[in-house]
Amino acid sequence: MQATIDVNGLRKRFGPTVALDGMSFSVKPGQVTGFVGPNGAGKSTTMRVILGLDAVEEGSALIGGRPYRSLRHPLRHVGALLDAAALQPSRSARNHLLWLAHSQGLTAGRVDEVIEQAGLRQAARRKAGGFSLGMRQRLGIAAALLGDPPVIILDEPFNGLDPDGIVWMRELLAELAGQGRAVLVSSHLMSELQDVAGHVVVVGRGRVIADTGVAELLATVSGDRVTLRTTARQEAARVLEHAGAVVTAGADGRDALTVSGLTAEGVVTLLSRNTVPFSEVAAHRATLEEAYMELTRDAVEFRAAAGREAAR
Amino acid sequence: MRQQLHAEWTKLRTVTGTGRLLLGTVMLTLAVSAAAAAAVSCPPAGCDYDPAEISLFGVQLGQAVVAILAVLTISGEYGTGMIRTTLAAMPVRTTVLAAKAVVLTGLTLAAGTLAVLASVLAGRLILPGNGFTPAHGRPLLSLADGPMLRAAAGSVLYLVLIALLSLGIAAAVRDSAVAVGSVLGLLYLFPVVILMVSDQDWQRLLWRISPMNAGLAIQATTHLSSLPLSPWAGLGVLAVWAAAALLGGGLLLRLRDA
Repeated sequence: MQATIDVNGLRKRFGPTVALDGMSFSVKPGQVTGFVGPNGAGKSTTMRVILGLDAVEEGSALIGGRPYRSLRHPLRHVGALLDAAALQPSRSARNHLLWLAHSQGLTAGRVDEVIEQAGLRQAARRKAGGFSLGMRQRLGIAAALLGDPPVIILDEPFNGLDPDGIVWMRELLAELAGQGRAVLVSSHLMSELQDVAGHVVVVGRGRVIADTGVAELLATVSGDRVTLRTTARQEAARVLEHAGAVVTAGADGRDALTVSGLTAEGVVTLLSRNTVPFSEVAAHRATLEEAYMELTRDAVEFRAAAGREAAR
Repeated sequence: MRQQLHAEWTKLRTVTGTGRLLLGTVMLTLAVSAAAAAAVSCPPAGCDYDPAEISLFGVQLGQAVVAILAVLTISGEYGTGMIRTTLAAMPVRTTVLAAKAVVLTGLTLAAGTLAVLASVLAGRLILPGNGFTPAHGRPLLSLADGPMLRAAAGSVLYLVLIALLSLGIAAAVRDSAVAVGSVLGLLYLFPVVILMVSDQDWQRLLWRISPMNAGLAIQATTHLSSLPLSPWAGLGVLAVWAAAALLGGGLLLRLRDA
């Protein structure tokens, strides 16, 4: 079975609210795909549709080319964590995994393996109702890994994790993708996915705004900038603009300039050659969060403009 | 369906509530049956009581505990959100409901048999002291007696059908409190309404469609000809209710978003 998710033109309404408005994207094996958007953008609904829990009016969601509901042992194909709190509080963690295992024809031995993998050995026989949110996330991860599935779907897995837990989750995601699995991870915070996701699908209002590799996103949306401190601002600007850079006044102080279109090394070389004095040159790498803000700002402006048109 | 059964069985046996409710069914049925047997007396001139109905009287309350257990097997999952985990693991929803029904049937059969046997035994021990003696033309209760065996076995089946009716209703309404309220209302309101209606024809009609009145006809061993329905036909009415509830619940489970 191919480790892929193909979402094609999903449309769904809840009463008058449009939840999914032509949602389409695909998730490839061997990398973490970030599924990012503000709350209410349709991320969780899309995931529920992929898992056959919610029906759609139009469109299809396929796992390795097949609809989820046609899978005989679905947890052996797709491991998912949608809501870590969705369990019977009086059942122990191990027994929760045990009934799941039995539903897939798996043995208790496999249950003990994932308990170990999720770091739950000490707590396995305690009632899951007494777990902290972080522990429940780990239990949810254990359940998702139970069937050793080629496709993993996690809804907001960083929620409720302490710093150790966040590091653990990031390493786990990288490891799962490294094993060739297709990993889809939703988040409303782009920063959580920095250095983890290889690909991002940015969504808003039930549709895809951007579907791109993280490297391309960073390069196209923002580009790198250099912050320069100098007492000879006019001279520095003249030299740098002559070399093709765009120079703007820096935000923080009278002697600061922001330069884009040149590397930090390029700025140092040019200024030195032209004997322009400077006290500091700092390279500023665009973050995924900035790229995301820029993308969604465009989307917001587009919507605002469209709204004005419609109101006219 | 084997794996779904295994999963549902594991679920039910790994929560403490299941055992407590099953024990509660047995104890409540036995206690109320014994109390009923202790409360009646048959003078030497004879009496109108049906000893089978009296010794199995506790079923009328034991059924409430069975209903709660049945409701919780599915509504409990809606309450916590675990239903989504269940349906993601077992996407064929009607099979999930069927698996729950089978496991529930097994547990109710076991607990119901215990409850009924204990009640019959209590009746056999208590009733003779209250005038139900062979000397008064009232033989000891015995399962070797055809109608008594039918009443006892039928009472176990009655409890199973109550469980299935409750499961179906719970699958349809999802919320635990609403489901328990609906089931108990359906069971206990009919007898009250029948008492309030004065018209005889209406009384008999309501009796015939009431799941509890008609269903408990299976316990009757005396005055059979005066019943609006024969014992087995009465239990059949309850079976129709249970089948309709399961069908409706299954259909809604299939159609709705989880």
